[in-house]
Amino acid sequence: MITRRTLLQSGTAALALASAGSALVQAGGALAQEATGEPIFLGVSGPLTGPNAQYGAQWKQGFDLALDQINSSGGIKGRPLRYIFEDTQSDPKQTVAVAQKFVADKRIVAELGDFSSPASMAASPIYQRAGLLQFGLTNSHPDFTKTGDFIWSNSVSQADEQPLNAAYAVKRIGFKRIAVLHLNTDWGRTSKDHFVAAAKALGAEIVATEGYLPEEKDFRSTLVRVRDANPDGLFLVSYYADAALIARQTRQTGLTVPIAATSSIYSPKLIELGGDAAEGIFTASRFFPEDPRPEVQNFVTSFKAKYGKEPDAFNSYAYDTVILFGQVLREAPNYERKTIRDTLASIKDVPSVIYGKASFDTQTRRVLGARNAELIVKGGRFQLWDGKAIN
Amino acid sequence: MTSWFDHTINGLIIGNIYALLAVGLALIFGVSRLINFAHGSVYVVGAYVGWVAVSVLETPFPVTLLIVVAFTGLLGIVIERFGIRPLADAPRIAPLLATIGLSFVLDQTVQILFSPDPRAVPMQVPNWRINIGGGSIGVLDLLIGGIGITAATALFAFLKLTKWGWAVRATALDRDAARAMGVDVDQVNRIVFAIASALGGVGGVLVGMYYNVITPTMGFEATLKGIVSEVVGGVGNVPGAIVGSLLLGLVESYGVALLGTSYRNLFAFVLLIAILVLRPNGLFASRRQLPPEPMTGTFVAPSKPVNLPVPLVAAAAAVAIALPLLIDSGYLIQTLTNAWLYALLGLSLTLVAGTSGQVSLGHAALLAIGGYTSALLASNLGWPVWLTLLIGGFAAAGIGTLLVSPAFRLRGHYVSIATLGIGEIVALVILNWESVTRGPIGVAGIPPLSLFGYDLYDTNAIYWFAFALMALLALLQLRLLSSHLGRTLRAVRDDDIAARSFGIGLNRYKGLAFAFGGFFAGISGAFTAHMYSFINHETFNTQISVLALTIAILGGMGNVGGAILGAVALIGLPEIFRVAAEYRILLYGIALLLLVRFRPQGLLGTV
Repeated sequence: MITRRTLLQSGTAALALASAGSALVQAGGALAQEATGEPIFLGVSGPLTGPNAQYGAQWKQGFDLALDQINSSGGIKGRPLRYIFEDTQSDPKQTVAVAQKFVADKRIVAELGDFSSPASMAASPIYQRAGLLQFGLTNSHPDFTKTGDFIWSNSVSQADEQPLNAAYAVKRIGFKRIAVLHLNTDWGRTSKDHFVAAAKALGAEIVATEGYLPEEKDFRSTLVRVRDANPDGLFLVSYYADAALIARQTRQTGLTVPIAATSSIYSPKLIELGGDAAEGIFTASRFFPEDPRPEVQNFVTSFKAKYGKEPDAFNSYAYDTVILFGQVLREAPNYERKTIRDTLASIKDVPSVIYGKASFDTQTRRVLGARNAELIVKGGRFQLWDGKAIN
Repeated sequence: MTSWFDHTINGLIIGNIYALLAVGLALIFGVSRLINFAHGSVYVVGAYVGWVAVSVLETPFPVTLLIVVAFTGLLGIVIERFGIRPLADAPRIAPLLATIGLSFVLDQTVQILFSPDPRAVPMQVPNWRINIGGGSIGVLDLLIGGIGITAATALFAFLKLTKWGWAVRATALDRDAARAMGVDVDQVNRIVFAIASALGGVGGVLVGMYYNVITPTMGFEATLKGIVSEVVGGVGNVPGAIVGSLLLGLVESYGVALLGTSYRNLFAFVLLIAILVLRPNGLFASRRQLPPEPMTGTFVAPSKPVNLPVPLVAAAAAVAIALPLLIDSGYLIQTLTNAWLYALLGLSLTLVAGTSGQVSLGHAALLAIGGYTSALLASNLGWPVWLTLLIGGFAAAGIGTLLVSPAFRLRGHYVSIATLGIGEIVALVILNWESVTRGPIGVAGIPPLSLFGYDLYDTNAIYWFAFALMALLALLQLRLLSSHLGRTLRAVRDDDIAARSFGIGLNRYKGLAFAFGGFFAGISGAFTAHMYSFINHETFNTQISVLALTIAILGGMGNVGGAILGAVALIGLPEIFRVAAEYRILLYGIALLLLVRFRPQGLLGTV
């Protein structure tokens, strides 16, 4: 009898053979151990359609690249690692159904996602009760991991990241009177609160804070309001598309102060969408392609080879997560769901594009520490900032 | 002082952009009496056709515009011919659902062809800027304004001076009379859709260049603002739509100046409600104008409902109850639990929209009120969940009826637009009223459902609880519909003037319908909040209001069994289409279009 499972297996085997062949050719006959055998599955719950579909697509690129690397170098003790991506549109009523599906699917050893907080956290009770690890790649909501001991995240805690941003803006660039524009979502709001507290502690004054909705495209009125508060620097808690819009309209409203932003704007798209207006934007990114560390260089070169473009922040989160799970699964004594959770808790210093070395705090179930590269957009690309004050 | 000048300029600039969509919406509404939810999707298509022209074919600017006009004009003709015209004799609510289905299909097609990533559209006009006040405006601002005003003037001349223009206006006034006088009504509709869609397409590419970004999902927000502008100017009034857009832009800009950015849309929707209450025909309607909706209600046309035999219903209920024991699939049970909760929402809307004719597009607000009330009472005060569920229901009934009461004097589409606005206002108040609702951070760690002191964690237990609630309230609604109250509500729907002359107090009965409906929806929202354990202002969004209406229309307006069947179908279809991965929402849209095409009166028919 041919079932979906046998089909999957034979498909996987065929794929594995084909890529093993090419890997051998590439490596010039060097030892390239291709994983065969019964695959191990991760479940992914994320948006492939709907308003957040772009982020799901970025995840996929990161996942696929990491899987290529893991499976072409022996997989998980000889078995290939795969994922099953269920589209949820980041809609809570679909994430709860998908959660039930994953929980019942005994092949799945851990779950990744979802994207937005309402969608991810609605499913958390189901994963927690069933004892299947829910791992948030992008879930910085301060309460995300609090549902229970099966809910973990490697998303950087904003309580860690924003003080670094504040130090960059106040100490290094020299902002004294800051106007903050932030996305009025759970992430934007939490980040803004941490940034404002840290900046004030460093002696800067916050002259305006403006929260905007994710669909917003027109910022001119907001920027006139900001201009009237007479700031000497703008700080954006934004994604790249809105940051590009704000940067363009800042100059149109006659505001000339420098702009700094959270690491979430790190994307080649910022420069494409922002054009000339993106020049001079500061950001302190956790991920920077010219970072000389080998894990970063490996990621960037292989990403460019596979997709013909530069990776961005969301690509790197997705890649990092699957690399992390590759390590967890290799170290796990068996593939019981609880064992995977325990191994994740005990694992130390996994090479990471984002963190350098990632380890988990078993109390908060988040990754310890955050690091930043100080960047500026110059000549149409992100570069390390040379430290020259600009105003 | 200069700031106020700058805020005025900024308001006019954004109003200028709203006008590009509002003009097309006004034209279509004027002739077809249809809120065209697909208009924003045509705008998206225009933006992407423009992108292909500029970035791939590298056409100069005038050629780009010509390509966009040709393509989207043709698209408008196709939409009219295959999406709208087959429904000419269907209840007027059916084309509304068809435009919703079309917007799914168009948005998804664009997303599949061009990927969901945002794209930059290279600017094709010189980037000269003129300093004005503290800021500056560019050539594109002037061009957008110019195109808006030229289009409106040309349309105005076309409507007033040409033979086809007269035909369009005659059709707008009275379709049947126009047809009797020899006007080719189909041809008129074709012309209107072509012109409006071409304008929408040009709007898409210009706005794309203006912001230097286009995404496949930018249509919905644009439609929303277009509708507000159109209503402010007076629906169906083309020059009015331009003035309405500029006014909306100004109000938003001053609103931001006064209270800050997060209040922007609140000002927009409060303006909408104020206009609807004070001058429902728009700012420029003359008193002589005919009421824009027919005197007698043909909005929800009665049809012969399918009579479900009682044994069949009983058997279906028995299967539903026994299902968790027969099949061990948490996924199926969870999906059906969702379906029962949406059936509650559907029951609520089918009562309000179907039985009493008040088509609400803001029903998610009732879920939100019920959900927040119950979640906050249970987590802040530790009240038992069965009690907070009930209170959530009553809160939604009370607050919902109160909020919607200014709209009681409205009819037909105006009720839909007003409730759409009220729904948005509720979501924005939840976002901004942080001391109570915790704003965007939301309410986390909501206690689980519990009954008689036992927490319900088990998927099957939650399923039975949801099913029992739904079945109980469905029986209550059946009882209600067969009573004096049900007959009165249908009388209000079918002919409010006749109903009033029989001494029926319209507002009281509309209020009663909203109160019952609000209670059902509030319970559903509260249940959902406890099941999810986390809600924020995004949990109950406008898409859910649209889904609720789709459920009610698809099942058959006013039909209790229909609402349940509709919910099972619309929650189930996206799950069934899961094998199609990225294509599933496209399939869902096509399924929706086919259902409307072949069962415009709903699966089980209007009661």
